[in-house]
Amino acid sequence: MRLTINGVPRDVPAGDHETLLAVIRERLQLTGTKEGCARGECGACTVLIDGRAAYSCLTLAAGCADSAVTTIEGLGRADALHPLQQAFIEQDALQCGFCTPGQLLAAAALIARTPRPSEDDVRVALSGNLCRCGTYPKLVRAVMQAAEMMRAEP
Amino acid sequence: MSAARGSNPVGAPETPKVLGGKLPRIDGPLKVTGRAVYTSDIALPGMLFAIPVRSTIARGRIVSIDANAARKLPGVKAVYHRGNIKAFFRTAPPKGFSGLIDEKRPPFEDDEVRYYGQYVAVAVAQTMEQAKAAADAVRVQYAAAAHNVGKQLGADKPMKVESERGDADKAFASAPVKVDQVYITPTEVHNPIELHATVASWEKGHVTLYETSQAILNHQDVLHQMLGVPVENVRVITHFLGSGFGGKLWPWTHSILAAGVAREVGAPVKLVVSRQSMFEAVGHRPRTQQHFRLGATPEGKLVSLSHEYLNQTSELDDYKEDCGEATPFMYSVPNLRVASALSRGNIGTPTAMRGPGAVPGLFAMESAMDELAIALKMDPIELRKRNEPTQDESNKLPFSSRHLLECMQVGAEKFGWAQRDPAVGAMKRDGLTIGWGVAACSWGAMRSDAQASVEITREGTAIVKTATQDVGTGTYTVLAIIVAEATGIAIDRVDVQLGDTRLPMGPISGGSWVTASVIPAVSNAARDAVKALLGMATSGPNPAFKGAKPEDLQLVDGRVKRKGEASSGVALGDVLARANVRSAIGHGKSATTMGGAESRKYSLHSYGAQFAEVTWHPQTARLRVSRFTSVIDAGRMLNPKPARNQIEGAVVMGIGMALLEESRYDQRYGAPINSNLADYMVSTNADAPPIDVTFLDYPDLVLNEMGARGVGEIGLAGTAAAITAAVYHATGVRVRELPVRIEDLLGA
Ligand code: FES
Ligand code: FES
Repeated sequence: MRLTINGVPRDVPAGDHETLLAVIRERLQLTGTKEGCARGECGACTVLIDGRAAYSCLTLAAGCADSAVTTIEGLGRADALHPLQQAFIEQDALQCGFCTPGQLLAAAALIARTPRPSEDDVRVALSGNLCRCGTYPKLVRAVMQAAEMMRAEP
Repeated sequence: MSAARGSNPVGAPETPKVLGGKLPRIDGPLKVTGRAVYTSDIALPGMLFAIPVRSTIARGRIVSIDANAARKLPGVKAVYHRGNIKAFFRTAPPKGFSGLIDEKRPPFEDDEVRYYGQYVAVAVAQTMEQAKAAADAVRVQYAAAAHNVGKQLGADKPMKVESERGDADKAFASAPVKVDQVYITPTEVHNPIELHATVASWEKGHVTLYETSQAILNHQDVLHQMLGVPVENVRVITHFLGSGFGGKLWPWTHSILAAGVAREVGAPVKLVVSRQSMFEAVGHRPRTQQHFRLGATPEGKLVSLSHEYLNQTSELDDYKEDCGEATPFMYSVPNLRVASALSRGNIGTPTAMRGPGAVPGLFAMESAMDELAIALKMDPIELRKRNEPTQDESNKLPFSSRHLLECMQVGAEKFGWAQRDPAVGAMKRDGLTIGWGVAACSWGAMRSDAQASVEITREGTAIVKTATQDVGTGTYTVLAIIVAEATGIAIDRVDVQLGDTRLPMGPISGGSWVTASVIPAVSNAARDAVKALLGMATSGPNPAFKGAKPEDLQLVDGRVKRKGEASSGVALGDVLARANVRSAIGHGKSATTMGGAESRKYSLHSYGAQFAEVTWHPQTARLRVSRFTSVIDAGRMLNPKPARNQIEGAVVMGIGMALLEESRYDQRYGAPINSNLADYMVSTNADAPPIDVTFLDYPDLVLNEMGARGVGEIGLAGTAAAITAAVYHATGVRVRELPVRIEDLLGA
């Protein structure tokens, strides 16, 4: 099957029954996307499908053939971090970092849809992404900061 | 920071320039770009996948295992069980921090099943999916026996006294004011978002284990014993850990299975524990049942304290949840008795979970103190003031540093406690009833043995090595800070290497003592390396500072220069080049406080005060934690940013403990029934209120030269008690069995 991941079209020898998470992690070795439950409860596997946040563990890869999929590897580059990534570091919005890729993509989807989010918007948008380290207050601050940085940029 | 303001009670050195700043964590860029590699991300050539078969009874015997159908499925390499795998050994009794494992029975040791989800076989296949299909196709026949997963705990032996002074029973009998209650905390599951995982790979009798471990050296030791191979043949690597909260301290059976299976099939094997199994076979905080009796004078002076408690454990293992940890020293009381016993059930073996013992113990004690304050019609902070001890009354030792009352006072100011109307339900805002509660907390301050090496290279970088782990608390960053501080080499030129058993012995990531333990070792190693460098600058074939003594020189910003001279000196790389060496290496050590001189001279603990506000909407029975203030006395903060993050995160977990979390067992089948993250609820972003964290910042120089104690656990202690006190204040209902349920409050 053909998938467009982070802007790059790729032919993947995956079965129709395989989840997007399995294809991303196991067939493409893009391991920034994490698995925490494999049943839509934790958000660690969040990716963007055509700009919307989705749990890749509950998404069949075959259904994404006509879509653009963005994983954490496509959000920013090591030498040019996305404003969200910068803000996460500055606000220390992470501890163990395991939920972090999912949080970042959920936040990216929010800002794309709502460039001027309220703190409550952030809380709601990120409530499908569990953080057992409990970095929630910092996550909210980081997303607010990033949204502001992104509004300031042309 | 607030209370330490200018006062320098124990003659601490000036806060050095790198310390106490607000540095971002150095592993941040890796973590925000998805490049931090966790155990389950490891892929090795030819790697196979293993999925265990979990028992579907909670007690009984395996009669037969039929794996014929499973073996014929696509991609399946093998199915192993007791009948066809090399047996595993038990560990010898532990010594210090090695040989520690909570579930001591090796996998497949006998045909007995003692808890639901115990591993009875394991399937190996080319993909995870094929292994799962094979595991599901294994037919196991059991002879089931009656099991016990009941909630009512009962002692399996007479209570054992842990601490005693005076005559608690007699003093209680004649006390004018009393509290006599039982407090219950439920089974809680760590549930880090990262699932436990092992990738095992053998080569010529040597095994490398990529692990989710908070204690790689202990893991190495246990696996060496259980696999029956020399210790030097076992290497354990944990570079990044998706947190653990204690659940990843000691090895669990899946790790031994993964290693054993990889040895059998002759290929690397990955085993990722499922979320469901995380409720069964990798430990939990056990259920506790704690009977507290407090006796006091009408003036609020404690005269008697009795704390008798039980915790649940498994059939085979004696896991003790040390609920009485803080009881003997927290308050001044002449008559005290702490005693405990275990209660057995057909459950997986429990283990340490964040703030083991103290967290459930302080829920009970601080709830009882709040009830006593109400019985006395006294402000709960005033009650603590009247019972503040001047020494640790359990062993008559002075406190190394105790500022509990100051925590209370600072917290009261920040929270606005003076505005509190103590009458139940008296405070209202926006149509909601407001409740305020307070609780004290404490956690031991400890240091363990550690070693480290620091290498100063020709490139002007420093490499620090120690076999500890970063569980998300910022250990990478702390190590870099210590080296930068001691060498003057910029922090971004410090390379931190940890998480590998080949490195010098480092501490386990438990007990909140990593920071305190590595400080002496790493500072000494760094100074030793600088000394070696300055030695090369003054002697040898072609020294840069001929005739100078090392003491006359210093290393500043990567250059060696004479003290007190303005000259720019010589780049450290040139010093090393002239000596024709690659690097200057230093070694350092820390000695443990446990059983050590300090612990015989001082009572070493951190303290804190927790203030909770809840809002209660009786019409809809809606309860929320709306605000939280935490004031912590944990020595000097080396890096306040991640430290604050630790406390906030612990408070968030404490909200879950108070209102959401309980692993429940199905009485018919003995299975943990809400074994997923939808039914076992943890706090989400929407549950987290504004959290105000203050550190008193009094250096505890008894513990280490920087005066730093750890903060990983203390934030969870007292949190649930502050919340249930606030719930009482809002509703008039005292909840003594966690979590607080809507049903508990319906009458309010
Ligand atoms: S792994 Fe997809 S939501 Fe948890
Ligand atoms: S940072 Fe550890 S789970 Fe979120």
